[in-house]
Amino acid sequence: MKTRSKTPPPSSGSSSGSSWVFSRRAALRGAFGASIGLPWLASLGARRAHAAGTPAFPTRFVVMFSPNGTLPGAWNPMGTETSFTLSPILQPLAEHQGDLVVVRGVDQQGGGGDGHQNGMGGMLTGQPLNAGPFAGAGSAPAGWPNGPSVDQRVAEVLGTGTKLRSLELGVQVGAADNWGRMVYRAANQPLPPEDDPARVYADVFADLHADPAVLAALRARRRSILDTVAAQYARLSARLGGDDRARIDRHLTAVREIELRLTTPFAGATAACQDPAPAPAPATSRNDDFPAIGALQIDLLVMALACDVARVASLQWSRSVSQTRFTWLTPAIPEVHHDLSHRPDNDGVAADKLVRINRWYATQLATLMSKLKAIPEGDGTLLDHTLILWCNELAVGNVHSRVDAPYVLGGRAGGRLATGRYLTYAGDVPHNNLMVSILNAMGIPDQTFGKPDWCTGPLAGLV
Amino acid sequence: MKVNGPLVALLAASLVGSACKASHPPAPTTAGLCTAAAPGPAPLRRLTRFEIGRSLADVMGVDPTLADELPPDEESDGYDNASSAYSVSALHAAKLLDLGESAAAAFLSDGARARDVAGCDPTADGDGCLRSFVQALGARLWRRALDDGEVADLLALATAAGSGDGRAGAGAVIATLVQAPDFIYRPEAPPAPDRVARLPAQALATRLAYLVTASAPDADLMAAADVGGLASDAGVMAETERLLRTPRAAEAFHHFVTEWWELESLPAVQKDSNLFRTWSPGLPGAFAEETRRFLADVWQQGPTLERLLTSGTTFVDLDLADYYGYALPAASGFQPVAVDPARAAGLLGQGAFLVTHAKADQTSPVLRGKFVRARLLCDPPGPPPANIVITPPSIDPRKSSRERFQEHTANAFCASCHQMMDPIGFAFEHFDATGRWRDNDAGVPVDATGMLTGTDVDGPVDGVVQLAARLLGSAQVRRCVATQWFRWAFGRNEQTDDDLCTVGQLAHALDTGDGDLRSLVRASVQSPTFLLAPAGGSP
Repeated sequence: MKTRSKTPPPSSGSSSGSSWVFSRRAALRGAFGASIGLPWLASLGARRAHAAGTPAFPTRFVVMFSPNGTLPGAWNPMGTETSFTLSPILQPLAEHQGDLVVVRGVDQQGGGGDGHQNGMGGMLTGQPLNAGPFAGAGSAPAGWPNGPSVDQRVAEVLGTGTKLRSLELGVQVGAADNWGRMVYRAANQPLPPEDDPARVYADVFADLHADPAVLAALRARRRSILDTVAAQYARLSARLGGDDRARIDRHLTAVREIELRLTTPFAGATAACQDPAPAPAPATSRNDDFPAIGALQIDLLVMALACDVARVASLQWSRSVSQTRFTWLTPAIPEVHHDLSHRPDNDGVAADKLVRINRWYATQLATLMSKLKAIPEGDGTLLDHTLILWCNELAVGNVHSRVDAPYVLGGRAGGRLATGRYLTYAGDVPHNNLMVSILNAMGIPDQTFGKPDWCTGPLAGLV
Repeated sequence: MKVNGPLVALLAASLVGSACKASHPPAPTTAGLCTAAAPGPAPLRRLTRFEIGRSLADVMGVDPTLADELPPDEESDGYDNASSAYSVSALHAAKLLDLGESAAAAFLSDGARARDVAGCDPTADGDGCLRSFVQALGARLWRRALDDGEVADLLALATAAGSGDGRAGAGAVIATLVQAPDFIYRPEAPPAPDRVARLPAQALATRLAYLVTASAPDADLMAAADVGGLASDAGVMAETERLLRTPRAAEAFHHFVTEWWELESLPAVQKDSNLFRTWSPGLPGAFAEETRRFLADVWQQGPTLERLLTSGTTFVDLDLADYYGYALPAASGFQPVAVDPARAAGLLGQGAFLVTHAKADQTSPVLRGKFVRARLLCDPPGPPPANIVITPPSIDPRKSSRERFQEHTANAFCASCHQMMDPIGFAFEHFDATGRWRDNDAGVPVDATGMLTGTDVDGPVDGVVQLAARLLGSAQVRRCVATQWFRWAFGRNEQTDDDLCTVGQLAHALDTGDGDLRSLVRASVQSPTFLLAPAGGSP
């Protein structure tokens, strides 16, 4: 149900001036009674940092996904843009309300395949699925979406100087298909998440505790290996044509990308960047391990940002059509999430369970935000320099609807995003517009994103 | 199950005629038996991680589970080896680098193993030895001889990466051989630019090895290819028969059946332990072992459809025998036992199938019926329409499963599709969601009567034994098994008229070969799809 229409923010002009950014942010903090410094001091600090040649803190982008839709009645906040009460599902985020923008009334676009498939594929790409090999419960078999996901557009601009262009983390995501992939490097190029915190730790943080001389030798050796491997792929590519050549070329690109990681300087431990604890054991597919794996992934994600290993990251909880059973809640929910999500609207018992499931995911976002907030950066925190998008492949599970899809933004994107707001939109507002605004909030001045027919420009009043 | 009334009327009119009746049952097996002339498309294939692990184990003697660190393979049509589905990412490249290094370290940790390859120690015996080593190991991993330039590049790498350390140099070479496209992919040099032509022997050896053994060509097969042993169809058949007798072929058969029967999710299956007090976390592993031993035995006895669908023997240990309620085996460990005649339906009566095709809290006649429809009859039901509320029935302990799913037949809209699935699935109702036999459901005797419709073996059945017997007599089932095998064998689904013709020939081979699945292997290695390459090679 749509409410009132777009309300422009007090200012939607250029946000490039740092003093405007910082004074605006500090003013907002003041409005929520959590001011940490006067505006002029903050901007002075920023100028000093620049004068001393110290790089400003980078802006980061994080996507968090949870599956199977929500219940709009329990998701929508009540109130106005600046004065609102969080809903039962969003209530765990109350401590971060001043750092949130809740966006309601935006319609998630998608096409091809079944409702879960195209919801998952279109969610971050704003593109339909191409024809392909995955036969879903609907229409013709579908493949991957026809363009990159928004985080990868961000990574294209902001991810070039870090060891990892982007970091994809998952929690029991499972099989490789278009129900389980949301991040796309380009059309038809899914980026699988790493489901195992132990491997993330080994792959991403090994540099932190390695002997520098040993590390340098290892990097040199791997560069030699990958040089030779890349030459082999290039030679094969030259012999092939058509789709085969495109596939081998993609492999070659991937080899070159990991080779680049070996020449990217890695600053090492600082006050903010601490070697995280290694996972006690490899991740399992045991249902009841879901929360523990997720907690480890959140810690690793936060530290990857704090250590500037990556500036773009995603955390994917399960997959569309998630079969997770929330047995750890009190009282336990033994039924499969996806089955519950298909109960009719008048099934109050199921609705209560779905609210508790979605509230658990909100709690995970709150945890992520708290951990980002706990890391000081300059006059603010890591959260201030981050933009988080929490999204879902569906709006409502039982009808596979994507109208009025649930979006929550967290963090201030380095000051470009005014937070503590609840924005509602009426009419047919495509979510591609939200993606454009996210890019704008990340300092990327794109005016369109995804399938052009599904985009009319930035979302009015967001950035 | 609740659906909106007017919507039902609206959609039912359009869907009853389309969603479910639009599917095309396969043509009868023997009608219009043709001779395929062209091979159809041959897209570049990539090894699955199952095949990568086995290849490394067979060529280098390392642990095949090293490859489990790779990202999972995409599944299309239920199979992990579809050429059109696989993707590549930086994560794949990073994991392959890790795999190359870990395989190299494992291999070099045993000095005797490294010396066996070229008769000298590649980490210590100088350039001449390293050259021989690169040529010998490279030829096995890449399934062809390396040219001089490739060898020179690898020797240069050993020098650069080794910095005087022979072990580091050899390790870098091995890590590179493993990540190379000639190991991970199966490139086939086009035999003729302008016409369909028989593949060269080395490419045939690779196709044959992965088709029959899901692993790299062994030394005998490489040698046969080198001396012209695959130049004739008889030569190909002789190697096929030899490979079919190796343990690797039995394991490859197990992998195919696991994919075909949708058993991949078994290790992660969990049930509601509040409803099922006898459920334990170790059961999926026990079911997997039961089925593994059953399939190994079936392979050894002759892997016929009859054994797969009607065998009255299975393999259990004491715990699993107790769980199923079978007579306890005399010895410890997994032993062959005769199952109750009422559940003598091969795989259809085993826990592995029954628990993966059920919900956590109840049986699913829909999932079980859909499996039979889609995977054994190749007539998958149409999709549920978008934008209706679809919900499995709530657990009402006063209602049997059959009563709960009654809405599917009471409601004409639902029935249009569910009549194709549920009545087949009801035949499994003696097996609960955890694979145990039950005589009663919700206090009433189980009614396991079901119905096959829209098939070549229509009619009522009572219980899984009757269902299995009916399926065994179906030409449609044999045609479907041939279709499933084609998709698995060639890493793609059937696309051209020649492909359909080849499927018909495979089905005919199954018919005339007493339903022995090895006849599918033999027929496929004689088909143009296997022996020939399209003009110009891969498209």
